Amino acid sequence: MQNSLPKAIEKELKRTVGDDWVLTQPERLLAYESDGLTAYRSPPGAVVLPKNTDEISRVLGMLSEADITVVPRGAGTGLSGGALAGANSVVIGTARMKRILKLDPENRLALVQSGVVNADLSAAASPFGLYYAPDPSSQSACTLGGNVAENSGGPHCLKYGVTSRYVTGLTVVTYDGTVLDLGGFGRELGSYDLVGVFVGSEGCFGIVTEIEVRLLPRPEGVQTILGIFDKIEDAGRAVTAIMAEGLLPAALEIIDGPTIRAVEESVFAGGYPTDAEAALVVEFDGLESGLTADIARAIVKCRAEGARDIRAAESEEERLALWQGRKKAFGAMGRIATDLLVQDATVPRSRLPEVLGQISEIGSRYDLMIANVFHAGDGNLHPNILFDRGDAEQLARVEQASKEIMCACVEAGGTITGEHGVGIDKRSYMTLVHGHDELEAMRGVKAVFDPMSGMNPGKVLPDSAELPS
Amino acid sequence: MNAVMARLSGRMQAGQIIDGSQTGAWTICEKAPQAVAFPENQDEVAELLSIANEEAWHCVPCGSGTWLRGGGRPQAVDLVLSLNRMDKLLAHEPEDLFFEAQGGVRLDELQEQVSRHGQWLPLDPPGAARGSLGATVGIGCAGPLRAAFGTPRDHVLGATVVTGDGKFLRLGGKVVKNVAGFDLLKLMTGSWGTLGVITKVTGRLYPLPEADRTLLFECQDSAECAVLARLIVSAPIILAAVEVLVPGQRENGQSGSTPVVAVRLLESRAAVEQAERIVVDQAGTAQFRQLEGGRSRAAFAKVQNMEEGAELVLRLNLLPSRLPELMELAWELAELSDPNAGWGVRMAAHAESGILRIMISRVDRREGGLDRVRAILYRLRLSLESEGGSLVISEAPLDIVRDLGVWGDVGSAGALMRGLQREFDPGGILSRGRLGT
Repeated sequence: MQNSLPKAIEKELKRTVGDDWVLTQPERLLAYESDGLTAYRSPPGAVVLPKNTDEISRVLGMLSEADITVVPRGAGTGLSGGALAGANSVVIGTARMKRILKLDPENRLALVQSGVVNADLSAAASPFGLYYAPDPSSQSACTLGGNVAENSGGPHCLKYGVTSRYVTGLTVVTYDGTVLDLGGFGRELGSYDLVGVFVGSEGCFGIVTEIEVRLLPRPEGVQTILGIFDKIEDAGRAVTAIMAEGLLPAALEIIDGPTIRAVEESVFAGGYPTDAEAALVVEFDGLESGLTADIARAIVKCRAEGARDIRAAESEEERLALWQGRKKAFGAMGRIATDLLVQDATVPRSRLPEVLGQISEIGSRYDLMIANVFHAGDGNLHPNILFDRGDAEQLARVEQASKEIMCACVEAGGTITGEHGVGIDKRSYMTLVHGHDELEAMRGVKAVFDPMSGMNPGKVLPDSAELPS
Repeated sequence: MNAVMARLSGRMQAGQIIDGSQTGAWTICEKAPQAVAFPENQDEVAELLSIANEEAWHCVPCGSGTWLRGGGRPQAVDLVLSLNRMDKLLAHEPEDLFFEAQGGVRLDELQEQVSRHGQWLPLDPPGAARGSLGATVGIGCAGPLRAAFGTPRDHVLGATVVTGDGKFLRLGGKVVKNVAGFDLLKLMTGSWGTLGVITKVTGRLYPLPEADRTLLFECQDSAECAVLARLIVSAPIILAAVEVLVPGQRENGQSGSTPVVAVRLLESRAAVEQAERIVVDQAGTAQFRQLEGGRSRAAFAKVQNMEEGAELVLRLNLLPSRLPELMELAWELAELSDPNAGWGVRMAAHAESGILRIMISRVDRREGGLDRVRAILYRLRLSLESEGGSLVISEAPLDIVRDLGVWGDVGSAGALMRGLQREFDPGGILSRGRLGT
């Protein structure tokens, strides 16, 4: 593919960030042709890897001057194609921005560059008994900048909340190169919550360069059980029953039968019974003295909803074994199908049993294997459709089934994405959940941050032509 | 009756609108509105706003009026829109820990209703037990419970907002995890009615804790309190609230009340016992009093009402570790209090977030009068801002508000804020001046 970056700009960029950090050779751009959603591929015109806010500001200044659009990118683990860039766009990556600028245990705050890996922050805070709460499945690879862009979640968000709850301040650079300092812990400035609206803006408003986040003290104790069910609907009802009991588990995760069997047939086998139709991980954390009573009440609820077996972890090792089926689900499924479409949608918790039934029905009707592994406590579903990209006819069925699943979730009072974002993948579903005025308002707000429409083009918002009138 | 008033009255039932002669209670920073309207549904809100747009009438939305004294001085007030009559809880789904309510529902009323199913909304903003949900969200204000539960932005799942130009926006939804598009809901939360009128709110509830216990640690003085509170906050657990409370010198006409650190524990019965041991251990003193259940709740309800009867209310902030320093600065402000009037000076500080409230019963107008107050606050604000903090003048004599402004420097956000206002309120009729720009 022909690289479309004008030579003069390339030279200027190289002078700003260093020759090694402007990539234009087609073989090197290949690594940036997709993110975690591999169904979409397209190499960018160039990749620039600045090292700090100042460089990003200068790089954006040059690119906006030349009317070249920009796509921000962290680790590229996103699952909605948010970091996908066309040949006319330049990717600005944060791969070199990995410094933890300040760790302030006394105030339980950290200031990091946006390329810092999620798990690395918790590791750095660990000697002080602190950690960073949001824990997306990709936390050992994904960056905090990416987490801010997607407002990422994770299994433990049930109790602790998602990224937006923890981000207290941001340094961002808008398309014209302007650097903005937004928020700051505890500050009351008579300003709108610009940090709040920036979180989850999927790179469409600007590039995040520095992030101030809150850290939490590590809970004193953790207790985990695994409930085994013959019907997935029963597991769904157990989730509702546990929450209605007034309990607040740290995590409530369901792994369905097809996923259990995929894991147990793989090298990741964790000892789940392969004839079960659902496994429910229930985890409580906090003060030791409260945990045993909480677990006991959760067990009663699981049994009442038909759990045939309950396993409790007596040691950290056993606890990790109970999590095995959840944590290794995607790896295991990758072994039984060439391609995996990881879907993401949310429904009100009490509607889980019914929506799970509908998903299973949709799967049979389209003759597709759908495996569910998801954050049940939040009602955040991840139906994973297994397929083979080479089979065009099957791919068409995957797309149809996906759309029907989204519609079923929206009809149940839910939404089209709980934590993966809209990106390029779900733009056409936006009209399922938003009307004309809401989409126009989003477009208007984007224009306030990015009047030249240079940031992450073609993401999140559907084209005007697709809008309902 | 003027022509605009006639138009408004034509659209409303009798009693839904009152005019200039009766609007005294709805005065904002000494600006009395020409009319106050009480719409009964969101269509009426939209209709009122569209008339206001056509007539270039400036509007300020509110609930029951609790917050009219706070916030920036509006450029003009022609119409106050009170959501007092939109006060229904529309849905409570206990299984999903979810509720939907009209913007004007009273916070205490909402709590009462959801508590029948063992749930609550963990928000305790100043003064607002009687205040409305919509206003609490619109102001984005929280109280001591923010230490564990966060601020309104963390509780709201969705809202219906009528924008300045009369459009309905249905933002967010029913579910906790929702990233379908840009999060406009965050913009509305804390926007002080400058972007739209919040007519409906959906939110997340929590199970009522099994046990509610407050530990009171008495200290010699507020400096000792600040140090102790910070020590307690650094215990390796999440505490529901850790508050430094300094009562006025002449509360109920009596002198000599003691400052305390109040630590609130909301856990299961077993966990409360353990949390108490951890806190006491951390504090290094066995000298404390316990308040259990209703008495614990009552103690914190009192904290919500500490601003009542104050002529001057300030909110100061620095990084929480600097709370002892901030407390010292606060005592310099105590000099601004009239030693012969009212209860004197009260203080309340959130030890976890480093926000300190100072309430002064009556400002001393003798030596140098308000000029001295103005000079001191001006210097203090600059110095706090230069260190990454802030000073909000929540309530003050009008001259002070007018000269210093309620809010400090919004910094690089100013241009964005003006752009966002134009987007949602192109006619510029909504609460202009209530927030910093």
